[in-house]
Amino acid sequence: MDDRKLHIFLDSLLPLFKAGVAYTIPLALVSFALGLLLAVVTALVRLSSWRIPQLIARFYVWVIRGTPLLVQLFIIFYGLPSVGIVLDPFIAAVIGFTLSVGAYSSEVVRAAILSIHKGQWEAAFSVGMTRVQALRRIILPQAARVSVPPLSNSFISLVKDTSLAASITYVEMFRTAQQITATTYEPLLLYCEAALFYLLFCSVLSVLQNMLERRFDRYSAR
Amino acid sequence: MIEIQDLHKSFGPLQVLKGIDLRLEHGKVLVIIGPSGSGKTTLLRCFNLLEIPDRGTLQLAGLRIDFTDNRQIPRKTVLSLRQKTGMVFQSYNLFPHMTSLGNVMEGQVTVQKRSREVAKKRGLELLAKVGLADKTESYPHQLSGGQQQRVAIARAMAVEPEVLLFDEPTSALDPELVGEVLKVIRQLAAEGMTMVIVTHEMKFAADVADTIILMDQGVILEQGTPQQVLRQTRNPRALQFLNRLIGEE
Repeated sequence: MDDRKLHIFLDSLLPLFKAGVAYTIPLALVSFALGLLLAVVTALVRLSSWRIPQLIARFYVWVIRGTPLLVQLFIIFYGLPSVGIVLDPFIAAVIGFTLSVGAYSSEVVRAAILSIHKGQWEAAFSVGMTRVQALRRIILPQAARVSVPPLSNSFISLVKDTSLAASITYVEMFRTAQQITATTYEPLLLYCEAALFYLLFCSVLSVLQNMLERRFDRYSAR
Repeated sequence: MIEIQDLHKSFGPLQVLKGIDLRLEHGKVLVIIGPSGSGKTTLLRCFNLLEIPDRGTLQLAGLRIDFTDNRQIPRKTVLSLRQKTGMVFQSYNLFPHMTSLGNVMEGQVTVQKRSREVAKKRGLELLAKVGLADKTESYPHQLSGGQQQRVAIARAMAVEPEVLLFDEPTSALDPELVGEVLKVIRQLAAEGMTMVIVTHEMKFAADVADTIILMDQGVILEQGTPQQVLRQTRNPRALQFLNRLIGEE
């Protein structure tokens, strides 16, 4: 690597890292938190016996899973203004990613709830709990343990998917790399540098996943 | 007092209970025996409405519930009945994400809204009572089957039920662990706890029961004292069942 490239590489480290910490990570965190909430609600609705909400939940999962995330983001950011809804890029991105996480993870959460043995429900009922109490105190905590690996997958995917927000003018880490490329004409260098940061962030998440699983392992014999 | 009249229950086309009548006085022990598929577990699960009967009446702890024509039972009635009963399951069904003490405190705190201190105090007493004072901070997977089942008994007692229901409490246990669980149940019987027990342990049944019910194909074949049911029955199907059990032992 010649001197000039090394300089560009080093000079870009801080702006990219800053964009990652200030824009990519908050976008991922907010979207994941909201998406998870949506996923639990969707899963519970699908497991309930309410006909109409169930149909709505199924329709929602069907549409979101069946269309590309990039197209969804374009509809939200570039399409909605035609009907008078103009959104800030961050808000548009959060909506898009939340809907996506909610749809995919609702299946994970639903499977996790179904994986809990029905004897756990009965034991909860036998001490007098309502369905909501049983769910909150007995079923969901156990389902959470089962969900950690697949949900970690979703979160790691999400961190990388946030780069799609660059296409709706949200200046996160990838968009920052694009901007530096535009002035330095070093696409290979800058995009590899950005990739390294994504790799770094996702590695940290993998470590966190392991710690979380170990914490849960206290009460599981497996 | 517990009273059941003309109780019916079907699963689809399968009639599991075909008109059950029984009475149990406060402080007495009722043991239900019978071949598998006779409906004894279903009957037990009707006591705390884990199964809702199709027809008949159930009177328990001052509540009288009429199941005539699949009538919808009010949620409040179901919940208050379950708080007056405690159940011990064949496969323990302890909450795996809670310690022994957590398991015993859970119903008290979440359902009965007791303070954590009060619940903890009672939880420790109960665990000591079932011989597990040194296992209060263990998680279920760290305990043997017999220890888990004793925690389950403590959990069922924690909400101060008027009747304890046991669904084959020793069937999942290794033979050498059966004794420690039966000992706890005997002790509760001696203290005057009202209990309904489904079991295959005949010797235990004969010792602990005030009344034995022998069920077959959804009806009660014999009902009476252990002596009457186990020694004096003339019913051919009852004799067949009892002889087979004796053959096994």
